[in-house]
Amino acid sequence: MAQAPLLNVHHLQKKFGQFHALTDVDFKIYPGEVFGFIGPNGAGKSTTIRILLGLIRASGGQATLFGQDVWRDSVAIHRRIAYVPGDVTLWPNMSGGEIIDMFLRLNGDRHSDKTETLIKKFGLDPRKKARTYSKGNRQKVALIAAFSMDADFYIFDEPTSGLDPLNEQTFQAEVLALKARGKSVLLSSHILSEVEKMCDRIGIIREGRIVETGTLADMRHLTRTTVDVQTTAPVTDVAALAGVHGVTVETDHHVTFAVDADQLTAIMAFLTEKGLVALTTTPPTLEDLFMRYYQGADQAVDGK
Amino acid sequence: MTLTKWFTRTSALVKLNLRRDWTQLVLWCVVLAGLMTAVAAKFDQIYGSQRALNEIVKTLKTPAMVALFGPMTAKPPYTTAAVFAAEMLVFMALFMVIMNVIIGVRATRHDEDAGLTELVTAHAVGRGAPLLAAIVELTGLNLILGCGYGLGLQLAAMPGADSTGNWLIGFGLAAVGWAFGMLTLVMAQLADSAGGTSRLSFAVLGLLFVLRMSTDVSDPQLTWWVPFGWVEKISAYQANDWAPVWAYLLLGLLLAVLAIVIRLRRDLGAGVIATRRGRQRASWWLRGPVGLVWRQARGGLVAWLVANFVLGAAYGSVFNTIGDLAKTNPMIKQLLGTSALAAANRLVVKNFVAVLAIVMVIIALIPAIQLTLKLVGDEQKGYLHQVGATAAARWHVWAAYTGWGALAGAAVLLAGLAGMAVMGAITMNDSLAWASYWHVWLAYLPAMLVMIAVASLLVGWLPKWRYLAWGWLGYSFFAVYLGTLLTLPEWAQHLSPLGFVDRVPVKAIDWSVSWWCLGLTVLLLGLAAIGYRRRDLAQ
Repeated sequence: MAQAPLLNVHHLQKKFGQFHALTDVDFKIYPGEVFGFIGPNGAGKSTTIRILLGLIRASGGQATLFGQDVWRDSVAIHRRIAYVPGDVTLWPNMSGGEIIDMFLRLNGDRHSDKTETLIKKFGLDPRKKARTYSKGNRQKVALIAAFSMDADFYIFDEPTSGLDPLNEQTFQAEVLALKARGKSVLLSSHILSEVEKMCDRIGIIREGRIVETGTLADMRHLTRTTVDVQTTAPVTDVAALAGVHGVTVETDHHVTFAVDADQLTAIMAFLTEKGLVALTTTPPTLEDLFMRYYQGADQAVDGK
Repeated sequence: MTLTKWFTRTSALVKLNLRRDWTQLVLWCVVLAGLMTAVAAKFDQIYGSQRALNEIVKTLKTPAMVALFGPMTAKPPYTTAAVFAAEMLVFMALFMVIMNVIIGVRATRHDEDAGLTELVTAHAVGRGAPLLAAIVELTGLNLILGCGYGLGLQLAAMPGADSTGNWLIGFGLAAVGWAFGMLTLVMAQLADSAGGTSRLSFAVLGLLFVLRMSTDVSDPQLTWWVPFGWVEKISAYQANDWAPVWAYLLLGLLLAVLAIVIRLRRDLGAGVIATRRGRQRASWWLRGPVGLVWRQARGGLVAWLVANFVLGAAYGSVFNTIGDLAKTNPMIKQLLGTSALAAANRLVVKNFVAVLAIVMVIIALIPAIQLTLKLVGDEQKGYLHQVGATAAARWHVWAAYTGWGALAGAAVLLAGLAGMAVMGAITMNDSLAWASYWHVWLAYLPAMLVMIAVASLLVGWLPKWRYLAWGWLGYSFFAVYLGTLLTLPEWAQHLSPLGFVDRVPVKAIDWSVSWWCLGLTVLLLGLAAIGYRRRDLAQ
């Protein structure tokens, strides 16, 4: 990633009265990258996105998109971005087709063949009044408008929470198509399989600060592998080794525990000396990974 | 037993509705019963002498007044109470129906649209319980108001009134209100949204009101075919006929049963008449914030224009009776001579127009302020978050709402004055020049713009305090319209920009007021735009 970042968020803060919604948000997104933005409810994902859109003003720190300030140059920036909010609210007395066209025109775009194709792909009935749409259908309206824009940067805030699996697949295919065309995407999501499938890098936000950024592989490396082992010699003294956590003793010859990734080689050497009978190691699942960050360091889940 | 299961937990829902609505209900009761009592108490002073009574009866018998207030059926000797009944009944019945439609929609479709009914009926609550709760709420409200009217009239003790007549008026109004409340509940089953229910209900009311106008003018007997007109037939303080009350109760009962039958059969969230499908593509003019606000506001705006035009026309239709000094005093004609009399007549009408202008201005400011403040409401509902993320600039969105607000105010005032001018020209032998009405518009517009600009300033800087704009409008009405009656000091009137406009069209326009008002408007709007650019979007 030698290129200059497209989005540069530096030490971003936001206060609502006395409440610190964001204390320190810091991340970058590079051209052609899909960035996953994850964190528990109320961690500050939507607040961050609203600041990036110039809807609300940061109390401190900086955020630039295309090298321009997100608050001061919002109109210029908005010409080049597309946005789908997490909670899509539409004017109840307008039809989906009308709303899609209006969003396109507000950005100086127009209804194109691409729009028609997307309406078919997502299976939206554009003539229904927005009042009669379900949550999923409202999301489709916003998604169709966003995907038919020719933007450089796409922001999706939990875009698939109301979609059925078929439409979710359509969404993923469209995002991958954007990536193939070198577009950048900021995707806030709770659906881990979605994040795993599409995102190049991930930023985890908790209590208003970014606690980790990196690729999934990097993060896996930071967590613990679960080991279930049976040996010929008694093995209970494994608990005394560095990097071993949460030992459960089944018998003297059978224990399970979690081990830090960087201590794995040393532990394996130790276990081999004890004479291996059976060994299973389980790499951390995504869930483990997220649970660890979501729940905070003080109550980290040990491996499992 | 099989039937009651559909109404399980109705009483709990009634309590819930009352807890939610009680401020609104109390407000309606106090305002309506208070209005009725205050007018009744004042009536003896307004028409103090027998001659004044005879004169007003003559006016009430003209077709224009019959169309507005219903036929004057009382027989001589005319009493204050008989004139009161003729003047107030149709008017108050209209308020009763409007109240019942508003509360009826709120208690049914409003909750269903919001998804509350779904949540409630998913519990051990009968399918018909929310509807029955609405019926109970409306019944109680109308009963209490009926008693309030009866008591108020008893207290006012107008000359010529009797207790039977007092209570008959009270319960007659309660009955017409209740019957139309039940009609609203039927409409709530037919339409599939709160907006649709309101539109259907008010459309039926409008149709019946116009029908009633035409039958009253042509042949009052035919009014028996128009349910809204039954209330005129109670013949209060004369024959004291209770038959219309029973007729309303029967009609209301039938409608209530019909509403329940449809409700128990229909799907939740559906209506007998489905919402029409919308457009496949947006029309060409829906291309920016200006088009968007128009798309949202056009229906309401047209209604305001028509309503104020009709109100203006109603006032205009009585200009000939007001502006006929010779009618009350034949000697005047000989004293003044024909041309001087015509000039004096015009002056009387001009004075009347100057007072009515304030009413028209206040009414025109309602949609104007509503549209200006709608910006914050639309932010809070989330409509504008996606718009805010497009290339549409903040000031552009703000200008669309405030601009339509100002335009709505100007247009609605113009419509009201046009109604007055047209109807005045038709009914008066020697009507006012068009310029008189035009001057009213020119004189008040800058002052109105100041009030709209202040509303916009609140939107830009203090969105949470935006309701202050309504308070100021209410104060303006109080200070400027009632101020002269109550002999308020000048500074109290000058707390509203409207108070600086001095009796146009009787007096000439004071251009210095117009210019400083326009200057202030520009300044305030500039500040409002800056404020809206700087603040966080409401969420």
